[in-house]
Amino acid sequence: MHPPPGARPTGLSQDGPDVLVLDWSHGHRGRHRVRDLRLACRCAQCVDEWTGAPRLQPGSVPADVRPLRIEPVGLYGLSVEWSDGHATGIYTFETLAELCQCSECLAAGASA
Amino acid sequence: MVNVEQVLSALRVVQDPDLHRDVVSLGFIKDVVIDGGRVSFRLDLTTPACPVKDQLKAEAERVVRALPGVQAVDVSLSASVRSPRPAGAVLPGVRNTIAVASGKGGVGKSTVAANLALALADAGAAVGLLDADIYGPSMPTMFGTNARPQPAGEKSIHPVYAQGIKLMSIGFLIDPDQPMVWRGPMVHGALSQFLEQVEWGTLDYLVVDMPPGTGDAQLTLTQRAPLAGAVIVTTPQQVSLIDARKGLKMFEQVKVPVLGIVENMAWFSCDGCGKEHDLFRRGGGRRTAEALGVPFLGEVPLEPAVAAAGDDGLPIVRRDPQCAAAQALRRVAGEVARQLAMRAAAAPAPTLAAMAWKP
Repeated sequence: MHPPPGARPTGLSQDGPDVLVLDWSHGHRGRHRVRDLRLACRCAQCVDEWTGAPRLQPGSVPADVRPLRIEPVGLYGLSVEWSDGHATGIYTFETLAELCQCSECLAAGASA
Repeated sequence: MVNVEQVLSALRVVQDPDLHRDVVSLGFIKDVVIDGGRVSFRLDLTTPACPVKDQLKAEAERVVRALPGVQAVDVSLSASVRSPRPAGAVLPGVRNTIAVASGKGGVGKSTVAANLALALADAGAAVGLLDADIYGPSMPTMFGTNARPQPAGEKSIHPVYAQGIKLMSIGFLIDPDQPMVWRGPMVHGALSQFLEQVEWGTLDYLVVDMPPGTGDAQLTLTQRAPLAGAVIVTTPQQVSLIDARKGLKMFEQVKVPVLGIVENMAWFSCDGCGKEHDLFRRGGGRRTAEALGVPFLGEVPLEPAVAAAGDDGLPIVRRDPQCAAAQALRRVAGEVARQLAMRAAAAPAPTLAAMAWKP
């Protein structure tokens, strides 16, 4: 789903032990399975800065990985401190919108 | 005799030209007192540096004076500076944090930052200035002080008071001849401390003099400081404008609103002939602002007195307030305050709170 320019999350909440819910300024309610969010980390430890090749081995991330704490970064993203010790990633609002797993966004992605 | 309703109803025709609403519905009219034919009230604006405050005051006076039975009108001015978003954990008492940046060095960014801070203070605002140029701090020289910041409790320090504003610079903490040979993490740590362990208190505006370019220090500030907006300083020539564009793109990437572009060294006024010489293709800043769709905040002439004033520790808006450069810098300050007020008046973005995950 493509959010309008300037769209930003306005609220963070939790749906059960492993789903992050993001309420957006344009009224959208996004959902993310937290392990998928961990695997999608784009920091330099997880994705090669020069080639863009993945460096993170999915098998190295515990099946029950959880956020410990989620914090806004400036005005443009979120950072997550994970239970596997990883904490260097920044998820920009654009990235979060692309990664959204709510039924509406999944359906739009499947038909695209 | 006139009553309060009539006064307010008359004032509804006075529009704030930036906020496009009348001064009554904006809540600017305070303390209306009617004493026979004498009416007094206070016009409480959104910034003391409002460029049109005298016009607004005159117009408010005129419309009330025109009411039947009114013989005298006494309007006083005040300002309550607003913040574009609710206070967060970092710099909670600062209403507007302004980054002054440039893509390249040598364009007079620190001069603009120092004079912007002083011009806002001269207008009546509570102002702080953070010299974030870790590798080349210039504020101790520009403000003529080498005071040591005093400790405030165990973990924080007081800023230095200089010329009516609160000031902090790495230059206060190190030997002036000592080069800062620091890697990124050290810079990050020092800047984070300046934001979080300096007792800035309550400020209308905190001006941050950024180091030139788009590196570690800029990233730290855009990530850690609740920036209300950025001012990009450039000179008119092409190479400088290319870098200004890069600076602008960086702020766009991190969602910091660009308040506009200042064209410094726009022209040189010869003290012999008085003619304005366009040394560097004047107008480049304005054209770039137009091309990129951001406000143009003004052009500042190159005057030897500006640099001399900085070197002597008394910035030009204080040393020679009537010269062309000082007037231009005051106009820039008014324009910056105006842009911030417009942004604060638009629906404020709520601050996203940090979240602890429940296992």
